[in-house]
Amino acid sequence: MPFNIDFSKLLQLFTYQEGDPLLFSTSFFIFFFFTLLLFYRLFAYKKNLRIFTLIIFSLFFYYKAAGEYFLILVVMTIVNYYAGQILGSLKEGTGKRRLLFIITLVVNLGLLGYFKYTNFFIRIINDISSGHIDALDIFLPIGISFYTFKGLSYVIDIYMGTFQPVKSFRDFSLYMFFFADLLIGPIDRAADMLPQIQSEINVPKENIGRGTYLIMAGLFKKIVIADFIGLNLVDRVFGDPTRYTGVENLLASYAYTLQLYCDFSGYTDMAIGVALLLGFNIMDNFNAPFKATSIADFWRRWHISLSSWLLDYLFAPLQMKLRKLRIYGNAIALFITFVAIGFWHGANWTFIFFGFLHGLYMAVSIFLKKPKTKIYNKLKLTNTKLLEFSQGFITFHLVVFSFIFFRAFSIQSGWDVVSQIFTFFKAGVFEQFVEAYPIIIILIFVGYLLHFLPEKLEKWTENFVVKMPIVVQALLLTAMILLVVQFKFAGLQPNIYFQF
Amino acid sequence: MITEKFKKTILDELNLDDFDIQDETTADQVPGWDSLNHINVILAVEKAFDVHFKGIEVLKCKNIGDLQKLLNTKLDQK
Repeated sequence: MPFNIDFSKLLQLFTYQEGDPLLFSTSFFIFFFFTLLLFYRLFAYKKNLRIFTLIIFSLFFYYKAAGEYFLILVVMTIVNYYAGQILGSLKEGTGKRRLLFIITLVVNLGLLGYFKYTNFFIRIINDISSGHIDALDIFLPIGISFYTFKGLSYVIDIYMGTFQPVKSFRDFSLYMFFFADLLIGPIDRAADMLPQIQSEINVPKENIGRGTYLIMAGLFKKIVIADFIGLNLVDRVFGDPTRYTGVENLLASYAYTLQLYCDFSGYTDMAIGVALLLGFNIMDNFNAPFKATSIADFWRRWHISLSSWLLDYLFAPLQMKLRKLRIYGNAIALFITFVAIGFWHGANWTFIFFGFLHGLYMAVSIFLKKPKTKIYNKLKLTNTKLLEFSQGFITFHLVVFSFIFFRAFSIQSGWDVVSQIFTFFKAGVFEQFVEAYPIIIILIFVGYLLHFLPEKLEKWTENFVVKMPIVVQALLLTAMILLVVQFKFAGLQPNIYFQF
Repeated sequence: MITEKFKKTILDELNLDDFDIQDETTADQVPGWDSLNHINVILAVEKAFDVHFKGIEVLKCKNIGDLQKLLNTKLDQK
């Protein structure tokens, strides 16, 4: 009997399907990735073939996510490559060089602005003038915020004279296209990636172990914790906060904070793991953010590739410009930087408000620094466990407060969550909730517990997995995939960070 | 070469008694020289040597040796 192959279904695998990118946690990705690994190993000592295999796979990966709009990525790559070449050849300090630099910035930010923010500004104009400009039908290419920043850092570094333009268009293309960090970062820098692309491939056994460990950790964080509590608690409460008591709103706020972390850092873990298996070290993006003892500390631990990008390319120049204002200059530069971080996340007032809150936290904290140190010294609290715990507790809650608005549909809806917590708490509901949804409570508990475990223990676990024979690692990975499948019954949730 | 006066200006601004500063030393290796304090160090150097840096010139410095070189060119122009 002949096989009944549905060719139209098969074709769908290879063509763009709206809202169905090749997420790392899908079986199709695993299938494609193993095929890639096979060819990659085959071409291990043929540099040209190896790099082109990655380029073609990356373009296919992006085409699956953005359809014909993958051309935007190609255009941005061409623009930034040639801008880099010309900027590198022109003499420093000339007007021509400056003009070309400005044009390149405008093209990059213009494309990002057009795709991401046009309709937001149309809404604002409509609100102000009570006019009726129709919203445009604009497709938002996934990952555009990430690869725009990757391209920009390359061009800015060359303009500043801190990085030499790369000669090979092939190598630069792989830097821009590389599928592992393409959709939601980390926002790698050319100075870290290009030397790796140019060198010979080297995948020691340790990297295979670490990569496998990170893929397992990422799958667990993303699917078992983030997707499950997202679907079964966060979405419901944030969908209509006034229908729920303060207890549920508070739980949902803690749960969302954990969900966002597990979702985003889980995906990043997988990205780092996948890159390690291909012989690349991409940058770390998270470092136990809820262990932070101040908001500044939090941003050194949360979405590190974005915060360090903005620190280098926005905050530092602003701070220099405003240096005569000293502490006020710092405060203004911080404030602007964080509002920009908020706005980068999306064309919505909720994100701007999120950035505004963090800008405010940071600006206020630099004015409080001196008096706080004085008080701590007076009370003999400096370097005590009690102080560290209180600072951690306060920082965590300031972060949770800001994430309420990050998640809410509108600023008003965010205030509804806060208001339910403070005016309609109903402590008794907690017991009922635990009885009704024990799995959710357990998952929230396990998620935070794993996060707050000592770093040493995590390193120990990682090394334990790294030292196992590869066969055992493969078995463990299979076991993790089976566990994940159990939790996936509710359907794979789109990654929270994809909308940015 | 890091000059004594330049080193002393930096250490005084950061309230440090002593710290070994070489050409290759980067700001983040010096205790207290973080991204917020950065501006105070730059202002202190400008004041001590009566020079004015352009923002982009400072941003281009990769380490303290680069800042010393920048300072030297400013002093030569005086």
